Amino acid sequence: MEESEDVPKDFIKLKSEKLSVDEVSELVVSPYCGAVSLFIGTTRNSFEGRKVIHLEYEAYTSMAETEIKKICRDVREKWSSVKHIAVHHRLGVVPITEASVIIAVSSPHRAESLEAVMYCINTLKASVPIWKKEIYEDEYSWKENKECFWANSEK
Amino acid sequence: QVSVLYFARSAELAGLRCETLSVPQEVTSLQLWEEIVKVHPRLAVIRDQVVFAVRQEYVLLGDQLLVLQPGDEVAIIPPISGG
Repeated sequence: MEESEDVPKDFIKLKSEKLSVDEVSELVVSPYCGAVSLFIGTTRNSFEGRKVIHLEYEAYTSMAETEIKKICRDVREKWSSVKHIAVHHRLGVVPITEASVIIAVSSPHRAESLEAVMYCINTLKASVPIWKKEIYEDEYSWKENKECFWANSEK
Repeated sequence: QVSVLYFARSAELAGLRCETLSVPQEVTSLQLWEEIVKVHPRLAVIRDQVVFAVRQEYVLLGDQLLVLQPGDEVAIIPPISGG
């Protein structure tokens, strides 16, 4: 294990396999950081009374990675003490209660990483080209984030 | 000639995920939409809910003038729902 200055890194991954909280938090751990903050987005089993069987995610992968990199860059501009950032998003079929996204941020003190994690998930929902389809028993529905400015809000 | 990528609901309506289309080099984003709808009329129903991503930058449907190069990627972006 090299004793370098521990250069700040962004770890961005879109994958179809099950996400691991251990894996993502270990990516951002640093001897210079006293805080690792984590967000896990999980899939719910019902929407407006309808039973959700599972979710399916698709992405414009190359642009999604670029947009997530932009979010990481913005995080570092706003919170300069942030050390490492990891964003893992699952694609394809995600069973109920499994994680669809895990975000981890490390910083020397807790305020910055807590705020940065919130900023990451809020901005991801507004700007990263990933789509979620809820599969019900008899039909399906493409979801729309309220953060998405080009979605119709009255529905 | 540009690569047009379709995602989510737009891929279902167009019936495909990706194709090459011939479009004018200089075109407004709204005109580009109309060219695409000529090929896939079923897309018309989502006109008010989509934006483009041209060379991976978001572009609203409107008067913005696009200068397209051969091989550029243009993606139809329905409302997103990541996270």
